Amino acid sequence: MSEMTFNASPKLSIGVELELQIIKARELDLSRDAEVLLARLQRMEVPGAVKPEITQSMIELNTSVHDRYDTLLAELQQMRDIIAREALRLNLLIAGGGTHPFHRWSERRIFPDERFNFVAQRYGFMAKQFTVFGQHIHIGCADGDAAIYLTHAFTRYLPHFIALAAASPFYQGEDTLFHSSRLAVVDAFPLSGHMPEVETWGQFIDYFDGMVQLGIVASMKDFYWDIRPKPEYGTIEIRVCDTPLTVERAALLAGYAQTLAYHLLAQRPPAPLPATYQVNRFNRFEACRFGCDAQLVDAQSRQRSSLRDDLAGTIAMLHEDAAALGTTAVLAEIDALLRGAPAQSELLRQRFKQRQSLADVVQAQADYWMAVPSKQEDRKAVLGTHSS
Amino acid sequence: MEFAFLPSFPPELNQAILFGLMLLAGICGGELLRRGVGLPRVTGYVLTGLLLGPSALNLISADLMANARPIVDVAIGLVLYELGHRLDLSWFRHNAWLLAMAVAESLLTFGAIFAAMYYFDYSPLVCALAAAMGVATSPAIVLLVSHELRTEGQLTERLMSLTAINTAVAAILIIVLLPWLHMEHSATAMSTLLHPVYVLAGSLLLGFAIHRGVVELARWLGKREDRQYILLIGAIVLAVGLARALQLSVVLALLAMGVLARNQDAKRALLALQFGYGGQLFLVVLFVFAGASLNFSGWREAGTAIAVFLVVRFVAKALAISIFSTASALRLGSALPLAAALLPMSEIAWLMMHDTVTIYPDFGPELTSLLLGALALSELVAPIVTGLALRRSDEAHPEGELSRV
Repeated sequence: MSEMTFNASPKLSIGVELELQIIKARELDLSRDAEVLLARLQRMEVPGAVKPEITQSMIELNTSVHDRYDTLLAELQQMRDIIAREALRLNLLIAGGGTHPFHRWSERRIFPDERFNFVAQRYGFMAKQFTVFGQHIHIGCADGDAAIYLTHAFTRYLPHFIALAAASPFYQGEDTLFHSSRLAVVDAFPLSGHMPEVETWGQFIDYFDGMVQLGIVASMKDFYWDIRPKPEYGTIEIRVCDTPLTVERAALLAGYAQTLAYHLLAQRPPAPLPATYQVNRFNRFEACRFGCDAQLVDAQSRQRSSLRDDLAGTIAMLHEDAAALGTTAVLAEIDALLRGAPAQSELLRQRFKQRQSLADVVQAQADYWMAVPSKQEDRKAVLGTHSS
Repeated sequence: MEFAFLPSFPPELNQAILFGLMLLAGICGGELLRRGVGLPRVTGYVLTGLLLGPSALNLISADLMANARPIVDVAIGLVLYELGHRLDLSWFRHNAWLLAMAVAESLLTFGAIFAAMYYFDYSPLVCALAAAMGVATSPAIVLLVSHELRTEGQLTERLMSLTAINTAVAAILIIVLLPWLHMEHSATAMSTLLHPVYVLAGSLLLGFAIHRGVVELARWLGKREDRQYILLIGAIVLAVGLARALQLSVVLALLAMGVLARNQDAKRALLALQFGYGGQLFLVVLFVFAGASLNFSGWREAGTAIAVFLVVRFVAKALAISIFSTASALRLGSALPLAAALLPMSEIAWLMMHDTVTIYPDFGPELTSLLLGALALSELVAPIVTGLALRRSDEAHPEGELSRV
C-alpha cells in the first residue's frame, strides 16, 4: 500500500500529539535526557505513545484515537501524571509552552535517529533552532476528498487555534512581544506554508507525484504546512498550535477542532480559493502577534473584526453541533476564556514581571504542565472552569 | 646605608607572589600535560604542585604552604558551596532509593575500609579515620572535570549528589572522631563529647545565618548576575573566615550554605550562578597546593595496605551503587561508570584531618603515610578515570576538552 492511500478513519475521531520540553530542575534550561526518559517510559504501561523528537531536549506524547473529547482529556491527564512522575525521579521537569524562553539553540543535540540525522544534515542550524514545541491535532476523515475540503475550510479558523494555544512570548532570552513566537521558526523551512489550491484527493495525488518527480519531497512528512492531510492515519493534522501550558487546554483545542469539523462537514460552507489564502498569512501573523486582540480580515465578507468577536461568533454558531457531539462544555469553557481570562502568554509575562528572571518563567511552565499539587492556585488562571 | 631602600636579596616571598606563581605554574603545567598527553588539566596542576613541593624541588616549602592556606580555604569554600548547590533535596523526595544509594555508599565504604585496615593491624582509631577519609569523593576534582568536559545528564547529576552526601558524611565522621584522638593524648571525656557538638551545630548554624543574610541581600540587590556574583563570593569568603576564626568546620558550613541556597529559596531570590573563571583561579591553587602536599613514601612503608585500601574503597562504592541502581532509576550499565567517577579521593577531607593529626607526632606518621600514599595515586590517576567514565556515558559536550582522548 502506498503512503498516499487514504486510510479512512472513524469519522471525526480525534487524537493529539504534544511536543514537550525536558527541563533540568536546577538550571531550568533544556536538558538532553530524552533518551533516558524515553527508555524509562517504554518500560511503563503508558496509554498512547511517547516518542523522540528532533533534539534530545524534547519528547512527543501521542494520544490514542478518541471519539469523544472527555475520554481524550482523561487519557491526556493520565499520560501527564505518568510522565511527570517518571521525570521527577530523574530530577527532570516537563514543561509546556511553545518555546523555551532562554535556551541556546547551539547547545542542542540531535536525537540519534536516521530521519532526525537527515533533517539535521539537510537543514543545518535550522534543525537545532527547530527545538520549539507544538501541538498537532488529528481529525479523522472518511475519505481523501473530505480531507482536502476540511483542510481548506479549516484555514479560515486557524487564527482561533493559534490564539487559544499561544504560549511562547519569550524566545532566545527576549520578550518577542508575540503571543506565539514559535510559528516564526517554522516559517524558515522551505516547505512551510499551506497546501496548494487543489480541490480533490485525485488532484492532490497529482501534485504530490509532481513534487516527488522534481525531487523536492520524498514523503508527506516533508511538508511543514500549517494544516495538512495525513493519508496514513486518514486524518487532517492541524499544526499551528503551541503546546499549551496544560493538557486541559490541549484537550480543549482538540474538542473545539472536532466540533468545528462536525459543523463544516455537515454544512459544507464554501471555502473559496484563492480568497482564503489571500488573507491567510496576514491573519496568521495577527493571531501570533496579538492573540485574541488580533484584527482579522474575512475573505468573503471583506470585513475586519477582532479575533475575540470572530471566535465568540463561531462558538455561538456551533451550539447544536456541540450538543450532538457532547462538547458543550468545550464551548462554555472557550466562552469563559474569552470573557477576561488572561492569555497563557500573558501569564508567563506576568511571572517574568514578578520575578525578573526567565528561569522563573520556565518554572511556571513546568508547574502548570506537571500539575504540581502545591501550585494549584496558579493553575486555576489557565484552567478556567476545569479546576472547579 | 645609601642603599637601604633596596630589598634584601632574594626578596621575601609574600602571599601575592606565592598566589601568582602557583597560578602561573599550575596553568602552564596543566596545559602542557593536556597538549602533550591529552590528560585532564587537574592532573597537570597536581603534578606541578608535586614537582614544586617539598617532595621534589622544594620551591614551595612547608612554610610557604602554610602561607597559602587562606587562599586554599577560600577555594575549598567555593567548591563546597557549589557542590551543596548541586544537591537537590526534592529529588530524594521523588526518588527515595537515590538517597538510600547515597547513604549506603557512604556507610558501606566506611565499614569495608575499617574492616580491611583493622586486618592490617592498625589501631581502631586509625582505621576509623582512614575509613572516614575513604568515604569522601573529591568535590574539587569532580566539579572541575565536569566543567572541563561540559558534562550534563543523569550520571553527572548523581555524581554530584553522591559526592555531596559522602563529603558531608566524611566531614561529620572526622569531626566526631578527632576529639577521640585528643582524648587518647590529653583531653577529658567531657570535651571529647562537647567538641563535636560545638563544631557540628556551630558550622550548620553559621551556614544558615549567612544563607539568610545572602537571601535578604539578594532580594535587595535584584536579579542581576554581576551583583549577585560579588554578593556570593563575598559571603563565601566571609563564611570561610568566620568558620576558621570560630574553629568551626569550613567544609560543613559552606556545604550547608550551598544546600540551603538550592533548597531553601522558595522565591528564587538567588540566581543559579557559575563561578566560572573566577572560581577556577582558586581551584588551580587548590590543586597545586594539594600536589605539593603529596608524597609517595607511604608506598614503600605500607604499599600493600594502601593498595587494599584503594581496592576495597572502589569495590564498596561499586557494590552499594549496583544494589540500588535499578530501584533508583539509574540506567542499565551506568552503575560501574558512576562508581568509577566517584574514585577521586578528597584532598579536602585530607586537609581536615591533617591539621589535627600532625599535632601528635607519635600518632601522625602511621595515618599520614597510609592516607597520603592513597591520596597521591588518587589525585594523579582518578581524574582521568572520572573523565573517562563521564565521556563513556555520553554526557560530555562534543566541544568539551579532552573529547579526543
